[in-house]
Amino acid sequence: MPVHKLPLREAVWLVFSKDLLCEFRNRYAISALIMFALVTLSSISMTIGAVMLSDELTAVLLWIIIFFCAMAGLSRAFVQEQEAGTLFTLQIYLQSQAVIFGKMLFNIVLLMGLTVFIILLFILFLNVDFSLWKIFFVILVCGDIGIGAVATLTAAMVARAQGQHCLFTVLTFPILLPQFLGAIHATATVLGGNMPSVSQFIFMAGYDAVIISGSYILFEYLWYD
Amino acid sequence: MNNNVVVQLINVGKKYGEKQLFQGINQVIKPGQCLAITGPNGSGKSTLLKMIAGVSKPSTGLICIGCGDRFFQHEESVGYMGMVSPEIVFYHAMTGIENLVFLSRCRGVACSLQYASELCATVGLNEYSNKQLSMYSTGMKQRLKFAIMLAIQPSLWLLDEPSSNLDGKGKEIMGVIIDTALKQMATVIVATNECWEMEYASAQITLA
Amino acid sequence: MIKMGLFCGLMAVIYAVFFIVPPAQGLGNFVRIAFFHIPVAWVSVLAFLLSAYWATQYLRKREMKYDWKSAASARLGFLFCVLATISGAVFAKLTWGVYWNWDPRQISIFILLLIYGAYMTLRSAIEEEEQKAKISAVYSLLSFVTVPFLIFIIPRFYFSLHPEPIINHLGRVDMDNVMLYVLLLTLGVCTALFWGLLSSSVSNVQKRHLANPIHSNDKDKVKI
Repeated sequence: MPVHKLPLREAVWLVFSKDLLCEFRNRYAISALIMFALVTLSSISMTIGAVMLSDELTAVLLWIIIFFCAMAGLSRAFVQEQEAGTLFTLQIYLQSQAVIFGKMLFNIVLLMGLTVFIILLFILFLNVDFSLWKIFFVILVCGDIGIGAVATLTAAMVARAQGQHCLFTVLTFPILLPQFLGAIHATATVLGGNMPSVSQFIFMAGYDAVIISGSYILFEYLWYD
Repeated sequence: MNNNVVVQLINVGKKYGEKQLFQGINQVIKPGQCLAITGPNGSGKSTLLKMIAGVSKPSTGLICIGCGDRFFQHEESVGYMGMVSPEIVFYHAMTGIENLVFLSRCRGVACSLQYASELCATVGLNEYSNKQLSMYSTGMKQRLKFAIMLAIQPSLWLLDEPSSNLDGKGKEIMGVIIDTALKQMATVIVATNECWEMEYASAQITLA
Repeated sequence: MIKMGLFCGLMAVIYAVFFIVPPAQGLGNFVRIAFFHIPVAWVSVLAFLLSAYWATQYLRKREMKYDWKSAASARLGFLFCVLATISGAVFAKLTWGVYWNWDPRQISIFILLLIYGAYMTLRSAIEEEEQKAKISAVYSLLSFVTVPFLIFIIPRFYFSLHPEPIINHLGRVDMDNVMLYVLLLTLGVCTALFWGLLSSSVSNVQKRHLANPIHSNDKDKVKI
């Protein structure tokens, strides 16, 4: 009976593609998230009419919508597995790092896809001009990685608790706040046509790195008894 | 290549909050041997299996799983083990073959679609192998669990009530699979209350 | 004995704050609120650090006493944090004219309040003791890890929609020697008060736990 050990990279990809396949077949999260983003942004656009929003307000609005979409859709990574009963199956068959990084990758990709959609809506409804779009893209990626990483870890925490969806937002927000504020500040700067300082990027990338390494260490405690 | 896996239970006990489930379990299970864990409902049979699987930790004592003269680290032992349990649930959005391929690949076994079909046929799931799990009966799901065991060929078999939900034909297939595994020097641990399943066992632990 | 000492210390501090400390330049008698606000804010941060430390100990050693200490520290920390927020807001109203204007220090204390609140909500949502201990320990550590980022982002984050704080926080102003000594005294007494409350809270939990003979375990006896 041979023993095969799957390298981490392949195991992560396996979890990611499995989640992608199941989501593609069910479309639970993605349809709700797209509708949420559409409804929120269109209602704001409708009510403010032709009024131009300042750079700061636009930045705040963008990240608040991304954040609430994340809170609506990213907890399913673990909560759905727990509710379906498949969490135990994953515990038996996979190592903990594969699960956390696979699901983190899935959440980040999902959020990035949603962010692109939200940006398109912003251009459509609010006539926002993204002239420094390359820098803006970097900010989006850093921010989304931060939100996705924290949300995946807190989803693992609430999977076995009561009142999961409410608790999820309550737990995620304080942890995410530094990255959230940093992303808003950087976005506001970029929308004004200026380059954010290098320290801003170091800050955001540093935050992502710390959260990802923290997840690597802490998730094992959550995964096994 | 056979990996002769030895399982040692040293003074193992489990306590949930205020309730002492069991304590003082001592046993050695060698390759080619089958251990039966029996006891009334709620006595902790499934819990003990989960502790051997590494998903849960014992409150007291030690569980050592090793090969030759070397004991495995915690996550290392997972690669040697396969489990059939009522708590294992498959992904309803995927078909039987997709579940099989996914779980085999999790263990590093490259399972082609054709081989997966053959395994499904062996356990009697021919027509349903390409249907989504949401359409499976409990008996079919149980057969699929055995198909996965055949795919990953573990050295340590952990079976929690293996014949539950199986009809006569299913039980026959299951018997052949376990028999073959024992002949290939796998280490088998069964948690059961069925007399005929206990016949495979050379040793028995009863949890009060 | 210790309680007598604590009581004396508290009396000494109240006397000192109201009668020994002279009115500050510009702030006048309002400065006395700062002698309550600063120690209480300091203790809420200390409680957070201690909670995270004991959370680490729990994850490493899996002894329930560390979870009790961590949770008790968080509960007290939350209480002190609420007091710090309220006293800070009152001070702000009296000196700057508004209760809340998202001044950097106010942002930090508010986030600490959110973290404590989230921690306690998490604990109340999980029933099984060991799961509760494990998951809240992980959350405690996760929030601890993000604190350095807060310290960096907060001073840089000035929204142009909000006014800048007019007066520097008392801690940055050069202080009168008398004020400094009284402040250190209040810090000491407040910390001692916190420690006393913590010990009594933990020993209460320990007594409740040991009253049940099934899980009497020498390891769980607590010495603070």
